[in-house]
Amino acid sequence: MKVVIFSTCVVDLEFPNVGIAMTEVLERFGCDCYLPKDQICCGQPTFNSGYAKGTQRAFRNQIDALLSVDADYIVGPAGSCVAMIREFPEFMKDDPQYADKAREVAAKTFEFSQFLWRVLGVENAGAELDGRATYHRSCHMTRLLGESESPYALLAHVKGLEMIPLENAHDCCGFGGTFSAKEPEISRQMVDAKVGHIVDTGAEILISCDPGCLMNIGGRFNRLGKPIKIMHIAEVLNSNVDESRISYLKQMPV
Amino acid sequence: MGIQTSDKPLLERVKESEQDKFMQASVAKAQDAQHIKREDSRALLGNWEQWRELGEQIRQRALKYLPDYLEQFSDNVEKNGGDVFFAATEKDAVDYIEKIVKETGAKRIVKSKSMVTTEIDLDKRLLAMNKGLQLMETDLAEFILQEDDWDEPTHIVFPTLHKNRDQVREIFMKLGYEGDNDPMHLARFARKFLREYFLQADLGITGCNFAVADNGMINLVTNEGNADLTMAIPKTQIVVMGMERIVPTMNDAEILDNMLCRSAVGQKLTSYVTFEKGQVAGETDGPEHFHVVIVDNNRSRALGSEFQSILQCIRCGACMNVCPVYRHIGGHGYGSIYPGPLGAVLSPILGGYQAFQELPYASSLCGACTEVCPVKIPLHKLLIEHRRIITDQRHMQHGLNNLMMEAIGIGTGFPWLFRTAVRFGHLGLKPLASKGEVHAENFIKPEGSVKGGPGLVGGWADVRDLPLPPKNKDSFRQWFAKHKANQPQPGDQKANQ
Amino acid sequence: MTIYNREAFLDRLSERLGTPRHQMDKEPFIHRNQLPEETLADLSSDELLDLAKNTSEALHVTFQVTDQTGLPAILDEYLKRIGAGQLILPTEPDQVADYQLQDWIDTVAKERTVKYWDPKADRATNLATSQDSMVAIGFGDYLLAESGTITVPTTPGQGRAFNFLPTHYLSIVKRSHILPRSTQVTKIYDDKIKSGELVTSNINYISGPSNSGDIEMVLIVGVHGPLDMTYVVVNDR
Ligand code: SF4
Repeated sequence: MKVVIFSTCVVDLEFPNVGIAMTEVLERFGCDCYLPKDQICCGQPTFNSGYAKGTQRAFRNQIDALLSVDADYIVGPAGSCVAMIREFPEFMKDDPQYADKAREVAAKTFEFSQFLWRVLGVENAGAELDGRATYHRSCHMTRLLGESESPYALLAHVKGLEMIPLENAHDCCGFGGTFSAKEPEISRQMVDAKVGHIVDTGAEILISCDPGCLMNIGGRFNRLGKPIKIMHIAEVLNSNVDESRISYLKQMPV
Repeated sequence: MGIQTSDKPLLERVKESEQDKFMQASVAKAQDAQHIKREDSRALLGNWEQWRELGEQIRQRALKYLPDYLEQFSDNVEKNGGDVFFAATEKDAVDYIEKIVKETGAKRIVKSKSMVTTEIDLDKRLLAMNKGLQLMETDLAEFILQEDDWDEPTHIVFPTLHKNRDQVREIFMKLGYEGDNDPMHLARFARKFLREYFLQADLGITGCNFAVADNGMINLVTNEGNADLTMAIPKTQIVVMGMERIVPTMNDAEILDNMLCRSAVGQKLTSYVTFEKGQVAGETDGPEHFHVVIVDNNRSRALGSEFQSILQCIRCGACMNVCPVYRHIGGHGYGSIYPGPLGAVLSPILGGYQAFQELPYASSLCGACTEVCPVKIPLHKLLIEHRRIITDQRHMQHGLNNLMMEAIGIGTGFPWLFRTAVRFGHLGLKPLASKGEVHAENFIKPEGSVKGGPGLVGGWADVRDLPLPPKNKDSFRQWFAKHKANQPQPGDQKANQ
Repeated sequence: MTIYNREAFLDRLSERLGTPRHQMDKEPFIHRNQLPEETLADLSSDELLDLAKNTSEALHVTFQVTDQTGLPAILDEYLKRIGAGQLILPTEPDQVADYQLQDWIDTVAKERTVKYWDPKADRATNLATSQDSMVAIGFGDYLLAESGTITVPTTPGQGRAFNFLPTHYLSIVKRSHILPRSTQVTKIYDDKIKSGELVTSNINYISGPSNSGDIEMVLIVGVHGPLDMTYVVVNDR
């Protein structure tokens, strides 16, 4: 199966380890991975800031790049960015050159955990990680992409990992892309509430499917001098893998 | 007070809100309690998504044929013996109401809660124009605000969320209350005080949750019973409604009532849901004179525009109850009588960008509002639309932010530029970095993190640390290229160079 | 009766919308689903009663079920619980006859002041009588199982304020008049208003006593309207 990796600008700029872990996991499950070099970003930072016109070029570039390899799927390590790609058909519907391509890209793009669980049918990725962890569900992944099951399902099978539910998991962490930098006084209060709830769980590890949120929450933890280990789900699923533990779902999720 | 409650900049209001720890705690408590009540009541109903689709359909239908439904409604009110006044502006509305007050010789007005009368600043204008006129807000919360020298509401459903029982006690003591701060005792005092007032009232002013086009009745949804007393006792009733409150039939109103009550307070129906018009022959109470004032006041700006869907709003307040920004900055943080996501979309339409251009940015676009809205208004998308208009069309943003966003826009559109940025990201931010302890493991690197800087970097780094981007040789792209080169069966070379 | 400023106002809206006026009838309005009608529609009579009881009690309503013959005793017991004070009744001779309440009323009138909402009296008199009444016993039209709601259309004999000014309130309703939801009752009223069978200025859907959470979100039962509510469901055939 040919898979194009949609690396996302956050991973390119800040989280090389996430890209690496994701590639290794995907290859473990038989994916032939490609990384089109002209891809940059889904365009969300500027589009959501109101620069609709200025972002059209970014959309087109991203579509061309992701379609430059004739792959079966496109997989990205960020729920928010994947949700954005899924909205391309709406944004490009009046662009005669790109409307069809936008639909094609959107139809085959998946968030990493979603792809493992829903497309590959992975039940247990074979990973082992000792520790107490909690999971931060990102707003865009749950609400815009509509995926709120796959990460929990996969994390439940990681050997040695104790998952502790997070209070007020539905509240935004205050990242919001450029919001975090444009309205720091509001964003700070939001991330502090999130940090508080995470600390209350007693978890040592914070896991998420969105590097943007991890960057926000992790950066705040560090500023406050509170200890935490930040992990993207791909890193968790790539920890101490014993392939004999790998199992597949008997029934594909609906 | 009109729609704008403060001319301070957003940042200042945010800081004031942060000082008000009681407000923040009570908003958080209310949000968490409402979350459970709302979701339980929706789950009990079942098929909530399909109900939303139906609610959306009813509201969209009403807007699509708004002129026709308003025509039908006003014909029916007339047939029922009432008067209808179409008010293009707030001034037209207030002038007409003022005229009715004069003509009827009313001395004591009772009011039930109505956002649109707050929007047109009706109370204070009536009082200013008529010496000797008495006017009383009779909803418990609005009564408290009025007696606290017209304090501003913080929420469209829970206007006094920011007040604690001691503050309420102090306000009531000015009216002769002598008891303790027990909410029950305070409420009983208000009941008695307002009951005496009600019995002498000669004119009642109410809002309207829905106006039924095909029979000319209005529909009100309340819990306290004050609206029904306002409609029962005085001889004259003036209904003030935003022009979009219209629905085709009683059944449409009733469907939306069910959704409104669940969304607003987690009840199946509130204590009182009333369909009402002017008195008919044989009845002894209820209004002998019935007036409806239909207010535009810039709502029509949204019609036919990308913002039309905001007029679907049924004022349930659920978007406020889920909003993480509202949770911290509270109603006053928005500087508008319409706070929260609804307010951030609606206020600039009604009050203009000059006054409210900051509000569309006071959102992390988390989408909680869009998800909760019973009539499926895409609130977070409308916020982006406002941002688009503000930036693309009005060029109202200045300075570094603008330049930086343009740079990001260009950067994310031109591959080579981006690759250069990745390559130099480490070096570019290095001068801003300082060494520090690592608390967020597997994220912040020992060689240092960014703790301050210009523009958006500064906004970020005021609050959190930013790890230095990896050196180019350690980037994911470099790793992938090497990794792929070492693989026994090379893939598509063209794409992986 | 007058309509002011209508044409210019509506023309402007239609211009904004970009569609001419008077197009509505060309596109019939059909609801995309029938959930309001279908929800709870398959409940049996016993299930409806159970549900009505549960939801009403959750609203702090005292909920009682009785046969015709047991009604006077229930009302006596209720008045005893409320204590002394004036009772107000509606002027609804048909209903009184229906529930065979005349003897009971005559007996009660010997013990306490019994007044009526009087269609021949004026506004001030009826308001004062209601205000001075400790308790109202009125007739509910329907009872909605889902929401614990009684519906009361205003009539000359049972005015609007009758339902709001007295301190305590009891509503008598027929068991055969329990409906699943507000949708069914609204349809009945809509049809009856349109056919002219029901002439009223006001229909109240009342679900429990008045309440407010305006002070620190603490639930206060009994704000402007009655402090408490009792529903008495009478088995009828
Ligand atoms: S926008 Fe939606 S959620 Fe917000 S108040 Fe209006 S109807 Fe309720």
